This record gives sequence, C-alpha cells and structure tokens, in this order.
Amino acid sequence: MAGSGSGNPNMASGEATKLRVSRLPESQLSEQLRAVRDNLVGAFDGLEVIGFRGELTLVCPPELVLDVLQHCRDDAGLSCELLVDLSGVHWPAGQREELAEETTGWPRYELGDEAGRIELDYIVRSLLHNHVFRIRTSLPDAEPQMPTATGIYRSADLMEREVFDFFGVDFEGHPDLRRILMPEEWEGYPHRKDYPLGGVEVQYKGATVPPPDQRSY
Amino acid sequence: MGIEARLPDGILLTSVEKVVNWGRAGSLFPATFGLACCAIEMMSTGAAHYDLARFGMEVWRGSPRQADLMIIAGRVSQKMAPVIRNLYDQMPDPKWVISMGVCASSGGMFNNYAIVQGVDHIIPVDMYVPGCPPRPEMLLDGIVKLHAKIKQEQFRERKRKGESDEEFARRTGWPTAEETEMEGWAAHQPTRKSGESTVAAGTGHGQRAGHRAGGEDL
Amino acid sequence: MSDQQQVAPDRPAQDDDSDLTTEQSREERAVAAAAGTMVAPHTYTVASGEWEDLPDAVEDDLMVINMGPQHPSTHGVLRMVLTLDGETVVDNKPVIGYLHTGIEKNLEFRPWVHGVTFVTRMDYLSPLFNELGYCLAVEKLLGITDEVPERASAIRVILTELNRIASHLVWLATGGLELGSTSAMIYGFRERETVLDILEYVTGLRMNHAFIRPGGLAQDLPPEFNERIATLVSELNDRIDEFEDLLTGNPIWIERNKGVAVLTAEQCLDLGVTGPMLRSTGIAHDLRKAAPYCGIDQYDFDVIVTDTADAFGRYLVRINEMRQSLRIVTQAVAQLPDGPVMVADKKVAWPAQLALGPDGIGNSPEYISKIMGQSMEALIHHFKLVTQGFAVPEGQVYCAVESPRGELGYHVTSNGTNKPYRVKVRDPSFIHIGALGDLTNGLLIPDVIAGVASLDPVMGGVDR
Repeated sequence: MAGSGSGNPNMASGEATKLRVSRLPESQLSEQLRAVRDNLVGAFDGLEVIGFRGELTLVCPPELVLDVLQHCRDDAGLSCELLVDLSGVHWPAGQREELAEETTGWPRYELGDEAGRIELDYIVRSLLHNHVFRIRTSLPDAEPQMPTATGIYRSADLMEREVFDFFGVDFEGHPDLRRILMPEEWEGYPHRKDYPLGGVEVQYKGATVPPPDQRSY
Repeated sequence: MGIEARLPDGILLTSVEKVVNWGRAGSLFPATFGLACCAIEMMSTGAAHYDLARFGMEVWRGSPRQADLMIIAGRVSQKMAPVIRNLYDQMPDPKWVISMGVCASSGGMFNNYAIVQGVDHIIPVDMYVPGCPPRPEMLLDGIVKLHAKIKQEQFRERKRKGESDEEFARRTGWPTAEETEMEGWAAHQPTRKSGESTVAAGTGHGQRAGHRAGGEDL
Repeated sequence: MSDQQQVAPDRPAQDDDSDLTTEQSREERAVAAAAGTMVAPHTYTVASGEWEDLPDAVEDDLMVINMGPQHPSTHGVLRMVLTLDGETVVDNKPVIGYLHTGIEKNLEFRPWVHGVTFVTRMDYLSPLFNELGYCLAVEKLLGITDEVPERASAIRVILTELNRIASHLVWLATGGLELGSTSAMIYGFRERETVLDILEYVTGLRMNHAFIRPGGLAQDLPPEFNERIATLVSELNDRIDEFEDLLTGNPIWIERNKGVAVLTAEQCLDLGVTGPMLRSTGIAHDLRKAAPYCGIDQYDFDVIVTDTADAFGRYLVRINEMRQSLRIVTQAVAQLPDGPVMVADKKVAWPAQLALGPDGIGNSPEYISKIMGQSMEALIHHFKLVTQGFAVPEGQVYCAVESPRGELGYHVTSNGTNKPYRVKVRDPSFIHIGALGDLTNGLLIPDVIAGVASLDPVMGGVDR
C-alpha cells in the first residue's frame, strides 16, 4: 500500500498527548497549504503540523484553539469563512495493539496512552482562497471542557451540542448546551469507546447470532 | 363502541359483517407517518405510477384522529417511540398498522442502542412488509393482504375451544351475556380517556392484531 | 359609570367559563366590580378587565406552539417549537433526533466495505452521494485515489448526477405538495420513477444501492445503458421544462416563495450553510468546481447562482441544477472510457465478479467454479476479503462531495485495522437545521413551511 511510510511507532516517548497519526513528509502538502501552515505557525507558538495525504492538520493545545480559529477567520491570507465540521474522536486509555503484519500487511504497533483523551477536530474552509484544513486539539476524557466557538462561528452551535451529546465535552459559554440527537434524559455518551453498541442477539431458525459488538469476526 | 359491543350473545351477523368489512377495507385512510427511506417509497406508492388511489387510499389524513391506517415507514428511534405510541392512541378504532420495511418490523440492519428493534414492541402490528426499502409493489401486496385480513374480521370474537365464559370475557374485555342484560350496564362502563393504552386491557375491539379467524392460533 | 358597569349588562346570561372561581353568583360579582373591589383574591371576569393582572398571563402575548414531529408539512420527523406573536414567528427552536440511528457508531463494528450499506441510508434521498463520500475517504486513506479506474470514476459521476436529479425532483414534489400543488407532487414522483428505473437497471435497487464500493464499483454497466440514458435525458429535459411552465411563472408559486425565508450571504457563511442555499445568495461555491472529485472537472457545466437569497431563488437554483446535471450525464456517457471498474489491487478489490443469475445478482458461475474447483488460494483470499475485509492504514482524512443539499463531508479516522475507528459524517442537513432560527425569524406560519421546504432538510442526514 502506498501509505506505509507510517512505520514510525514514535509513541515510545510516553507522552499522553502524542498523536497517533502517521506523519508523512510535508512535501505532500500543496503550495497553498504550505502558505497556510507558514501563516499559522508564524502567528502562534506551540502548533504542531501534520501533513497526511495532502491534508494539513495543526495541533494546538486547548487554550489556543479559539485564538487560532479567530485568526483563521479574520486574517486576510486565511479568510476561513466556514467552519465546516467539529467532531470528536475518543482514544481511551490503555495499551492497545494493532493487528499483526500477517493479517494486515502493516507493521505491528504497540500503542499506549496513559490517559484517555478526546480529540476535537475543527475543519475550516475558505471560499475565497479555496483551501480547507484542520485544527486539532486534545482534551482529557475524564471531564472534558472546552470554551465554545459559537462566538466565532455560529455553526458551532449545533456541532458542539452534538459533541456534548456523544462525548460529554462541556463547552463553556455555549448558549444552550443540551442533548441534541439522543433523548434529553439519556444517560451516557454513546460515541465513546466505553459505551457499548447496544443491540440484541438475533435468533434465526434455532441459532443465535450475538450483537455486532460482541462478534469475534 | 357501536353495534359490536352491544350484540347479545348468540347472534351472528354475517352479511352485515361482510358489508362493513368491505366498506372498511375499501377506504382505509392512511395517516401521514413516514419516518425514513421507506417513507419515500410509500410516497412513490401513493404517486401516479403505483397508484394508491385505486384502493381508496389516496387521502392521506394529516391528523391521526381522522385516520385508520398507520403505516410505520422507517426506523423507529428511541426518541420517537413515545410519539408513535401517542399517535397510535389518538387513532380511533377500528385501526390497523402496517409495519413497512425491516427497520419497523424488527430493527432491520440497525441492531444498536438507538433503534427500537421492531415497532411491535410499542404498538400492535397487523401486517409486516419486509424490504429495505420494500418496492412499491411489495407495499401494495401488503396492503392487499391487509384488505383480505380486514374482510375476514368478525364482529364478535368467537370463543376458543375449551375456553370458559370468564376467560373469554377477560380476554376480549367484552361483556358477558348477563352483564349486557343488566340494567344501565352502559352507564357503569368507565369512559376511555384518550391516550389510555388499549394493549394492556387486551380488548379485541377494533384492535384486530391477535384476532384469528375461527379462533385458531396462527 | 365605570366601564365594567357598561359592559356587564350586555353580556348574555350564561355561565362564564372565563371565571376562575364559580362560587360567587353573577350579581355578587357585578356588585364587586362596580365597587371596584374584588370579592375574592382571584375573581377574574372578562368584564372586569383584570386580565392584565392575571398572574399566569404569558408575557408579551407570546404563544409557544409545537410543530411536529409528526406533521404533514415537515420534511420527515422534524420538530419545531415555535414562539409566536400572533401568527408571526419570533423564535424557532428545532428539536431533532427522532430518527437517530447511531450509524456512525455502527460503522465501527463492521468491516470497511460494509460501511457502504450503512452510510447509504443516512441521507436517503441521495444515497449514492453518501456512498461516494465514504468511498472517497476510504480510498484516500488507503492511498489508492489515483488507482481507481477512470471508468469507475466516470460511472460514479453519472450515477451521482442522476441521483442529484432524483433528489431535486423529490424536493420539488414535496415542496410543491406542502405549498398546495398536488400536481407538482405527482409530476415530481413520475419523473423520479424514470430516474429510478435507470438506477435500478444499473445497480439492482431503486434506493439505498450500496453500489459504490471502496476501490470502484460493485459491477460494470449493463448493456443498453447508453440507449436508456439517451431516452432519459431527452425525456427529462422536456419534463423539467414542463415543471418550469407549471411553477416558475405561476403567481401562486411566486407569491408564496418570493421574498420568503431570506438568508443573506453573511448569515449563510456564519451558520455553515452550503449548497443551493448558499448559491441562492450569490456566492458561487460548488465543490464540484472548488475541489473536484472523480474527474468531474473534465465535464463542462455551470454553477447556477441567483442573488435573491429567498425561497424562489433556491427553487430556480435547483431546477437549473437539474438541467446542468443532465448536461454532465450526457457528456460523461459520451466520453465514457473503457476498462475495469474496480481497482487492480487484489487486496482491496471486491473479489467476486457479479452476474445476474436466476435469483438475482450474485457471484458469476465462472467465478464460483474458479474458487470452488480450481484454486484454493483464490478461495481463501475470497473468504478472507469478504469476511474480514481489508485493513486501512492509520490516519485521518476529510473528504467532501457536493450533495444536492450542500457539502457532505466524511471525516474518517482509521487505526490500522479492518474496521473504521471513527467515521464522522458532516451532513449538510444537520448544519442547515441550525439555520432554522434565522431563516424563519419574523415569518408567518405558512411561510415557515415554505422556508423549511426551501431548506430541503432530510432527517436521515440530520439525525444519522
């Protein structure tokens, strides 16, 4: 596979916030995205840059996110009018192994996180300059809190409610933070990895098939 | 309740039943209740190509209080379940339910926390139409079979083999012969409030799920 | 004489339901009213004019009315809690989640290819767009975007543009029905049947096709496809003209749509609104031109833009988009290259060659004889690939397509295994629901319906 430059289990440093995403040479980024990167790296300290499959990702600590977003929206060279997506990914704590080479063709990884984290990705798009990139941050998954981006982009309203509904991230300053897709009184945050899929076992002609999250294949 | 509750024991009305059933089957009014993908196929069935008007069903009632057929078309989520129950209770008797598509019949491919695994967990269903989504012809087949089912309904539940009078009364909720002869029996009946469930009471009135012709269990 | 005394004798002698207490007789109340005192702490009559002091009176005479989730005029199970001043909407709080299926979580427990069948049922009016977005994201993660054969890309474009037409037809049909035009409903669904016929001919299903797979397509085009497309294109062009004849100059349609539900360009961008809504404000943003996929930039088509930002503008945008889609389809069919329709890499490509047998589409007999009779490795390979699926390198990508409703994006995270780790779908309808407050502000209730119709939300995409 073309992408196997990812053989770099450099997670051994033991930092909990070290990202698990493969880092490929930044030459994969287009001219435009390199300009974006230079703009942002010049404006803020503490940003990490990832280029993967031609996409630009800037990793920043949670405190910086709103400033970065404001800069992305207001700066003339970036001019990101649209907040396209705000989503979360839950990486729970604990040692995890990936599949062995025989089955996947990729080298074996041993990845560990001392603390679980919830990654938030803000994807912003500029219509004027026609570029799109991602701003990523990590929150601890125990009591994740984040200031709201609704002051910068109003579309963050529903997106933050969804992240709250499914991951439990508390957005401070959000005008109306309550569950959006699950019933109001639902307990638990469904898209976290420790939440089961639910479901019942299926019976058919005398045999039973367990629900999808308990199958072994 | 009408003629069905007041018939004294021992009277069969066959011709009247036939006419009433023919009338009911010939002009079912569906309630507009599409949820997901199956709703689009349901709309296609109602549109010009696969016409529902030839069955007298082109009038889609917006209010459940004026409808007698509820086609649950689509996946029923946990949040929607109480709403469906509410709507079903608002429908007047006699009413029928078609569960259209696999998601409504059994949860379909979505075997998870968010979907009720079959709308028959919530309301009684008369006809299950599988498919994902079922073709309009399949839905029409289900409707035609429902018509056939309606046409063989009877005003009175017939006693099953070996069933005693008390068991029969308890099962159907209908009064026994002595009760109907009681003076002022009707005034003693509690009025059913809207929203009250009819499932738990196990009445056979208009709730034809569970009705079996000739008393046989299918 | 006080006002109370003037009014009281004219009132008919009937029991006032407006009284909160029924103990006092009417004479007592009249006497009390004339004296300007109240007999009991809470005696209110319409005559006495103490309604303003009523403790439970809603402030500013606002009324909160619930619209939905079952309502003949909302697109699916959308619930709007409207705060009304008379008949004017002051605030609109949508409540969604009545169709939440947990598709994103379901995807985490199935191999990558099975994800297509799940994802296709989200935005159920444009299933092929869902599949396309997902497959583009998976292919990007796999790194095989350039290896997807050109024929597969071209057919993807044809199918998705046909789907765009079908989706816009449903919008027109349901929008017309909600505004009172049953003819639009019947015409729309009739036209849609012709498109679904072709889609059924190619994919086997009318809806939720699961035809676009990571790496290419499930199957090649059947014979006679070109003739059928030619008939379809010419028919549809005439029928769209019929639609325009019916609606565009129609004074009722114009009255109900012109100037209704205006959402300016700044509001659209702030609220994340894309698609025909954004193009009706004058901004010519179309992902097919801005970030082309599947080689769609080789075809010649226009991005339709109006600048009225109202429901009528959106109607014009969508009607003309249908025509542009037909243009794209014609060009794509004419320029269709030969070749395979699935990527060459055997570790990714769906192993079976499918054929139409007596009981439907299934593995072709030649393929079955090969894996069962001739080659054990082929059997093992087929078995592993079909049950376990392929593994995708670790990473995270975002791939967006221009669905009929707007920017449909797939934010896919993989952790190197044969199942997705997290698939987040950026559905345009979900974002547009957030725009409902601004869209319906100050509208009358029938205009709310016209506005929601012009927004074209599909609740499957909203709730996923």
